[in-house]
Amino acid sequence: MKRSLEDKLLNPLPGSKVAAAKEFGIDLTLTLKNLRLTPQQRIDQLQEVMRFHHEIREQAKLQLRNKKAL
Amino acid sequence: MIKIEPIVTSLVEHEVAFVIIGGVAITHYGSAYVTQDFDFCYLRSSENIRRIVDAMSPFNPRLRNFPENLPFIFDKATLQNGTNFTFDTDIGDIDLLGEVAGVGAYSEVEKTSVEIEMFGRPVRVISLEGLIDAKRAAGRVKDLLVLPELEALLELQKEEKDEAGD
Repeated sequence: MKRSLEDKLLNPLPGSKVAAAKEFGIDLTLTLKNLRLTPQQRIDQLQEVMRFHHEIREQAKLQLRNKKAL
Repeated sequence: MIKIEPIVTSLVEHEVAFVIIGGVAITHYGSAYVTQDFDFCYLRSSENIRRIVDAMSPFNPRLRNFPENLPFIFDKATLQNGTNFTFDTDIGDIDLLGEVAGVGAYSEVEKTSVEIEMFGRPVRVISLEGLIDAKRAAGRVKDLLVLPELEALLELQKEEKDEAGD
């Protein structure tokens, strides 16, 4: 019987590469979420995450500068 | 932070022979890994290097971590004098690789790549097998950390192909 993508990722067969990734500590729920997106949606999402990281870094730099100025 | 669409669009519009590698390729295949730059492997022909200069000049490339007071000219001669480059640009960090460790020069990378559509344009992206070889050869901690997920994605990709063939 053909296994669903969800089943393959969340209940990997022992000895499989997916099982090895799970044991290594990869959060396969995130991988599953990404695989449900189109490749273009994955790239768009990456761009959004980058933007978010950039904003956090800029805020942290600003706070550090303000602290030093006090 | 790299703005992906402008660099992809410019490279395609200038007909640069390139293959997307690195974190953007990893994301394309479904990994949750997050990159901050755009890496591509390029054909080291004189004409292609001229096209890269035309495609990237509008973004004002500077060598990353290069003293700002030292003169740097982004031109054909500069690119011909090296192979791999890491640039800061006005749209973010862009790495150019003439050779990819574990895979080879552009001709080898191109052989292990697939054509996809990104931002509505046809581009080539390194295969999962190629990415795994490259990450294994690079051998840095950040490369090795993503390997198990890439290997799992490759296993899923192969299973999908087998099931489609049944």
